[in-house]
Amino acid sequence: MGAGLRTWLNVAVLSFAFVVIIFYNGMLDGWNRQGRNDTIAWVTGAGQFWHPGFDRFDPYTFQDSHNLLSPEIVSEVEKKNLSPVLVSQATAFPQGRSLGVILKGIDPEQTILSLPSSALKDEINQDNAIVGKRFAESANLKKGDKLLIRWRDKNGTFDAREVNIAEIFNCDVPEADNGQVYLSINNLQKMMGMQNEASYLVAGENNPVKNPDNWIFRDLSFLLADFDKLILSKRVGASIMQVFLLLIALIAIFDTQVLSIFRRQKEIGTYIALGMTRIQVVGIFTVEGGTHSILATLLGALYGIPLLLLINKTGISFGIGQNMNITLADTIYPYYSLKLIISTILLVILSATIVSYLPSRKIAKMKPTDALKGKLQ
Amino acid sequence: MKLLIILITATFSLFAFTSPDAMEILDKVDRNMSSRNRIFESEMIIHGRRTSRNITSVTYSEGNKQSFTEYLSPARELGTKMLKLGNQLWIYSPSTDRIIQISGHMLRQSVMGSDLSYEDMMDDRKLTEIYSAELTDNEIIDNRNTYVLVLTTKVEDATYFKQKIWVDTERYVPLKQEMFAKSGQLLKRTSLSEVKLIQGKWFPTRIIYKDVLKDGEGTEFTMTSIKFDQNIPDYIFTKAALKK
Amino acid sequence: MIKFILKGILRDRSRSLLPVIVVAAGVFLTVFLSSYLSGVFSDMIDLSARFTTGHVKIMTRAYAENQEQMPNDLALFNVSALKSELISEYPDMEWVERIHFGGLLDVPDENGETRGQGPAAGTAIDLLSSGSSEPERMNVRKSLVKGSLPANRGEALISDDFAEKFDVSVGNEITLFGSTMNGSMMFKTFVVSGTLRFGNAFLDRGAVFIDILDAQEALDMNDASGEILGYFNDREYNDLKALSVKEKFNAKYSSITDEFSPEMLRLVDQNDMGQYLMMSENVGSIMIIIFVLAMSVVLWNTGLLGGLRRYSEYGIRLALGEEKKHIYGTTILEAVLIGIIGSLVGTALGLGGAWYLQTYGLNLGSVTQNMGMMIPTVLRAKISPALFYIGFFPGVIATVLGNALAGLAIYKRKTSRLFKELEV
Repeated sequence: MGAGLRTWLNVAVLSFAFVVIIFYNGMLDGWNRQGRNDTIAWVTGAGQFWHPGFDRFDPYTFQDSHNLLSPEIVSEVEKKNLSPVLVSQATAFPQGRSLGVILKGIDPEQTILSLPSSALKDEINQDNAIVGKRFAESANLKKGDKLLIRWRDKNGTFDAREVNIAEIFNCDVPEADNGQVYLSINNLQKMMGMQNEASYLVAGENNPVKNPDNWIFRDLSFLLADFDKLILSKRVGASIMQVFLLLIALIAIFDTQVLSIFRRQKEIGTYIALGMTRIQVVGIFTVEGGTHSILATLLGALYGIPLLLLINKTGISFGIGQNMNITLADTIYPYYSLKLIISTILLVILSATIVSYLPSRKIAKMKPTDALKGKLQ
Repeated sequence: MKLLIILITATFSLFAFTSPDAMEILDKVDRNMSSRNRIFESEMIIHGRRTSRNITSVTYSEGNKQSFTEYLSPARELGTKMLKLGNQLWIYSPSTDRIIQISGHMLRQSVMGSDLSYEDMMDDRKLTEIYSAELTDNEIIDNRNTYVLVLTTKVEDATYFKQKIWVDTERYVPLKQEMFAKSGQLLKRTSLSEVKLIQGKWFPTRIIYKDVLKDGEGTEFTMTSIKFDQNIPDYIFTKAALKK
Repeated sequence: MIKFILKGILRDRSRSLLPVIVVAAGVFLTVFLSSYLSGVFSDMIDLSARFTTGHVKIMTRAYAENQEQMPNDLALFNVSALKSELISEYPDMEWVERIHFGGLLDVPDENGETRGQGPAAGTAIDLLSSGSSEPERMNVRKSLVKGSLPANRGEALISDDFAEKFDVSVGNEITLFGSTMNGSMMFKTFVVSGTLRFGNAFLDRGAVFIDILDAQEALDMNDASGEILGYFNDREYNDLKALSVKEKFNAKYSSITDEFSPEMLRLVDQNDMGQYLMMSENVGSIMIIIFVLAMSVVLWNTGLLGGLRRYSEYGIRLALGEEKKHIYGTTILEAVLIGIIGSLVGTALGLGGAWYLQTYGLNLGSVTQNMGMMIPTVLRAKISPALFYIGFFPGVIATVLGNALAGLAIYKRKTSRLFKELEV
């Protein structure tokens, strides 16, 4: 009774563990990829060249950290391989409140970052600005509103003007949004009296410039360090969950294995009587147990592939990352890499084989004569 | 009738001709307002959103490069000293016995929560050094006739690009000032009053600063005593004096 | 009858040990994993509660509006009176004061003059009073890189990166320069008692932790505090409870016309945490259902195995003349007992493990070593009432179901073939 049923139950649970592990890791990888891609697309580019004194977290450094763009850099800017950004501290006054903001001058023609910089092109209205959705909410701004900004130029002279909120963009990267007001770089250069200067350069994919003088390269591992740490901590948490899920499935296989060795002693005795070595018999049983995992992989593939593909297409909606100050897209699309799938298959097969092997070791200790009789040992 | 018109225009043009040169007015203001050195005690009332505070201090200053301020009250500030030499600023706090240097980027922060930054306090160059002036109008302020001057900066590093200044026509003392951004946006307004004759100079001893972009009541600054051209020993303007 | 079967189970280890172990293991895994999953899914909530939002948080209305600017001039006044009222009104909650402040960290040379300085992000918590839960809540001890927690007034913890950059060692002095809540200049020299890693680039460049009393003194905030955070004593955020606390508090203390009157917010009222809480509960329960299902299948399977294991035994019992119905009955009863024993053991172990994880947490050790304060590196579980039955019932039911199915085989056996089968 039920050898088939039992096998299928085992296989079902194992396949289930298999699919959940792939799904969960796929979600994490999806988050990671989207988070990285979004940060690259909205903030970091393929890396950045900083003025040596520039520190993105220390607004006091902005005042003195800007370099002239060399002809070499200007030509790369024209080829859209680099995009200069000028940064300055300022105060915004939405409805009589004062709010510390960071002005970022970006090239309206730039294509490296996803910022809707073309909204800054308007020649008639020189004072267009774009802001992120979250900042717009906190400052109570709508598209077309005016925002009064006061800043001090490079000589400390106060200046102030109303900028027109030409576009409000929606992006998942808090760093691109919180407290940031984007202007055209020419405009900000004029406002600051820093003609042809930038605080940092955002590199595009094909940027050929490697070590420009007076700029320090910040690679993605530097720029994305916080995000990477967050993902790593999530991964560790996830792996523990996977171990436990797998354990449940493996208990079933272990149990089945113990029983089948117990019940099939005669068979074992027969094998040995027919001249097989014990190791060979252990091998047979181990492979038999391990086969569960192959079946599980196949079964998992059967319902897992459509299911996972569906989730991959629809994504899973969160919609909360922004306000928690982490980079988390509204909808996460899991990403199943070949590496993930293969490593999960290997993990499942290997662990199933190990738990199949453990009870089989008993065979090696059996006396073939007793085994042949089916005597309990 | 025709004659009358001619007469009036003539008088006007005559007035225009004899009206003092704007730069001359400014120069007279400078002469009133600046001195070789000065020692003054002052009281600053800072209106916060919730409370107002009263801070008194004594300041020794020489030219526009050196100044030394010691805070006298409240008890919390007593003994705190500030030394400014050129564009460097050190602050000494007796409670920690530390001298802290305020580096460039900090100079733009507000002093004691007032509407003034360290840099504002440090920039006391003569108006004629910074601005070129144009006489635009005459107005009456607090029952005093004033010249209304529009000052536009002629240097690069003025705190305010443009100022409008109401100068008492007799005493050559500013009674009101408006500070503008390069864009023309009004930023700050000060009103100066309690003009006193001190050692032959007319001097406004009470100034109210108001940041017009922000809600709030602004900062009041009153000089309770002021002496010009004193003998200030040199050591006052050294870091050693901070710890004394 | 039950006594007899129980004796059988206890004495015949071959019949009972493995099934009980498997049931117990399955139930243990389910219970433990459920608690762990609740912990994992609530770790962001937990982190937010511990660092920023509390389970509830009290600020003045004006402070709340400009919170990100750390407007200490708008802080709460008469905090000690307010706190003692809170303590008597909500005895099952803990109330802590926190002050956030900005400023400069200034490193002196041997003459007491500035050697280096950098912007500081300051946090003041109760570090010193005995039995303060704050250092543990803020994960301070585990984030220490060098030195130790402040033991006396006038000691501070600073970010390790800052200490490295300016060559500051434990025991050195640093001065905090900023402004008091009134805007006056604030100077206070601290002895560095230790350095911290936060795992957040912003905080790592210049954070400073000081005791709340030092902060109140330095910032001229006598009996004032930027925030009062409230925590339920069982560490768990309970939204219903939070709502009633909030409504009661605001009705009594808060006034729409007074921008400096205190106002209480729940965790879910802040930073969109409500949405996250809902989502994490949903995802958490889906995952738990999945595990319970998986475990049920496994235990069902075990039940089937149990029936098969004893195939010969049933044969002998049939041969001896025992009625099939009776054998089946005892099998089921046995399964119930095994299910109960296994599930009890499993639930107990699971709860024990969950309790350990909830209380002490599991440090992920080398993988995430020194990732810092702001990254949840210690895995925690969360005990909920559901844990008491979430493993138990599926454990018993699946075991019985499996045995019942396997036991049906008894009815298929023919007496005539029994001896042939039993021939050895």
